[in-house]
Amino acid sequence: MRTFTPLRKIAALAVTGMFALSVSACGASGSPADSGSASEQLTVGFVAVGPEGGWRTANEENIKEAFKNADIELKYAPATNGDQNSQITAFTSFVDEGVDAIVLSATEATGWESSLKKAQEAEIPVVLLDRGIEPNDESLYTSLIAPDNVGISTAAAEWANKQFPDGGNYVVLEGPPGLSVVNDRNKGWDATVESSLKKVGSQSANWSTEEAKSVFETMLKSNNNDIQLVFAQNDEMGLGAVQAVEEAGLTPGKDVKIITIDGTKNALTALAEGKLSFVAEYNPLFGEDAVNVVKKAVAGESVEKNIVVKSVTFDSPEAAKAALPDRKY
Amino acid sequence: MSAPAPGIGSRLKGLFSQQYAWGIVALLLLLAVDVIKDPSYLAITVNPTTGNLSGNLIDILRQSAPVLMIAVGMTLVVATRGIDLSVGSVMAVSGAVSMQFLSTAPNTAGSAFAALGMGLGLALVLGLVNGVLVAWVGLQPFITTLVMMLAGRGIARVITGGQNTAATNDAFRWIANGTVLGFPVVFVIAAVLVAAVAVLVRRTALGTMIEALGINPKASRLIGIRPGGLLLSVYALSALLAGLGGVFATASVMTVEVSRTGLNSELDAILAVVVGGTSLAGGKFSLTGSVVGALLITTLDKTIVFLSIPSAATPAFKAIVIVAVCLLQSERVRGWLRGRRAGRAPAQRPTPPSPAPSHSSPVAGPGGEPATSGSAGGAGTAGTDNDQKAVNA
Repeated sequence: MRTFTPLRKIAALAVTGMFALSVSACGASGSPADSGSASEQLTVGFVAVGPEGGWRTANEENIKEAFKNADIELKYAPATNGDQNSQITAFTSFVDEGVDAIVLSATEATGWESSLKKAQEAEIPVVLLDRGIEPNDESLYTSLIAPDNVGISTAAAEWANKQFPDGGNYVVLEGPPGLSVVNDRNKGWDATVESSLKKVGSQSANWSTEEAKSVFETMLKSNNNDIQLVFAQNDEMGLGAVQAVEEAGLTPGKDVKIITIDGTKNALTALAEGKLSFVAEYNPLFGEDAVNVVKKAVAGESVEKNIVVKSVTFDSPEAAKAALPDRKY
Repeated sequence: MSAPAPGIGSRLKGLFSQQYAWGIVALLLLLAVDVIKDPSYLAITVNPTTGNLSGNLIDILRQSAPVLMIAVGMTLVVATRGIDLSVGSVMAVSGAVSMQFLSTAPNTAGSAFAALGMGLGLALVLGLVNGVLVAWVGLQPFITTLVMMLAGRGIARVITGGQNTAATNDAFRWIANGTVLGFPVVFVIAAVLVAAVAVLVRRTALGTMIEALGINPKASRLIGIRPGGLLLSVYALSALLAGLGGVFATASVMTVEVSRTGLNSELDAILAVVVGGTSLAGGKFSLTGSVVGALLITTLDKTIVFLSIPSAATPAFKAIVIVAVCLLQSERVRGWLRGRRAGRAPAQRPTPPSPAPSHSSPVAGPGGEPATSGSAGGAGTAGTDNDQKAVNA
């Protein structure tokens, strides 16, 4: 008992303090509608994913920079180890704080209804970045800005169809089950890939290089190395698969062709060396789009529900070499 | 040994009196399932291109090395009635510092040694902080290591600037991917270290002292065991081994993933310890058991992939196997399975003089020794909750 009373006191103090702060903040801003918001600096809450990989870092840095350039105060709240709970907590406190808008990259697609409704009641526009919600109730958010996952994986599957006209065996290295990104990337791929290509396995490697190496090493063994194609749903897992192929004494790019999505510098370097065979970019640089949408939404103008960020694909070492020098992430 | 050699039957009986026997059974069953799927599962061949031994068993050995490291450290910590939740984060920290160093260092064996030293050194510092806080400040191990678990991941991020740093160094890579006489280097290192720790605690009085501390801290103090140094050493050792585990994990792909490396490894380690028959209430521990537990967990992970169990169903599959092993270890469940003989079984095994009964029935009544430990546990969980909130806020 002795040990935890002080802790409780501290926690109580902290909660009271936050409450007092948020109350005073509300008092200060008063009625934002008629006080001429153009002269005041906007405050936007960013419920983010936090460190996850090269792609995510590039994305979040770009968003932070864009808001800074637009002179909007961005409060950055990354999730603790990809935990949705910590995101919901951050989201709720932004609503209580009364920020002008919230941008959200959800770690999990489901379970956002009640939080989004709270924001709606408080008349705070919510812009989803990169990751959608499920069920996709468009009335709950202002706009979704994201590259088109289905389109990107469709492009990857079309390339695979062309490369393997006589068919072959392939495996999929997925992200954590349940994410909208994973579902969409599967959807585009499964709908497009020819039936002559046979899926001999599909496993989650949790976006991780280390896990992907271990998973693919075992997949190779369970299929007696008879796998010609890997569809890795992000760059990190693709690079892990490259290492597993090399350890097995095979040549990546020749014996096993590997497709990855994201287009980070590391992946393009590997593509330039011929270790990866196809890299589909998933463009992370949409900070400016996010700023425009947020500005419009706060001003009460209508915005598009779905904004697709343009992405390109790289299918040869030459293309990768050309793109490498000015790759930012 | 001058007495007539014990028959196979009695030897088996001796083995089955060990808690970890069911872990071995589960391990063999998993391997059997793999063999049914592919009869050549156990085959070890020489890879024609690389000249190394290759096979599923080799993969399992290689993969088990980091888990072995943290499980051994965890066993000793748990035996002192503690717990070390920070091992996964310490793995990330040591991996991060070595990768960050190697990303700019020249590709030589010298820089590999330097990176190894830096990783292990930083891990040791974190372990010493844990140890001092537990041993001398008297904080709850759960809280102390939980704070270190959250702080450690933060430290790892600061070290790499939030990036997943990759590096090239052949010597460092060899630690995780190389072979000695065909066997994976990582497993050889892990096995040697496990053996060294086992000799250290079992050939000296150290192990007995740790057990005494875990069984009854007051009584052990009265017979002259000083808890401070002992606690400090087990937390330091646990972190040091975790640091090495982190080096193994990152050297395998030569990339540190600050939010992934070592994630949930503490849970794997605790599982390995429990499957191995060491009670989380502290006291008697079994290093062999933890080794069996670590091998079981790795085999389970590999089997899931080998059997192509859909990724959505893997946590459930893993849980079922672990729960089955734990159920089989339970005296009571085995009693039910044996039917009538159940009545005698619990009587044969004397209950250890630990305050275990107070855990199972904290409401039994106020007063006396047991109530103190019950309320301490309560404070632990409440404190955690506050802590978590403070960090999230």
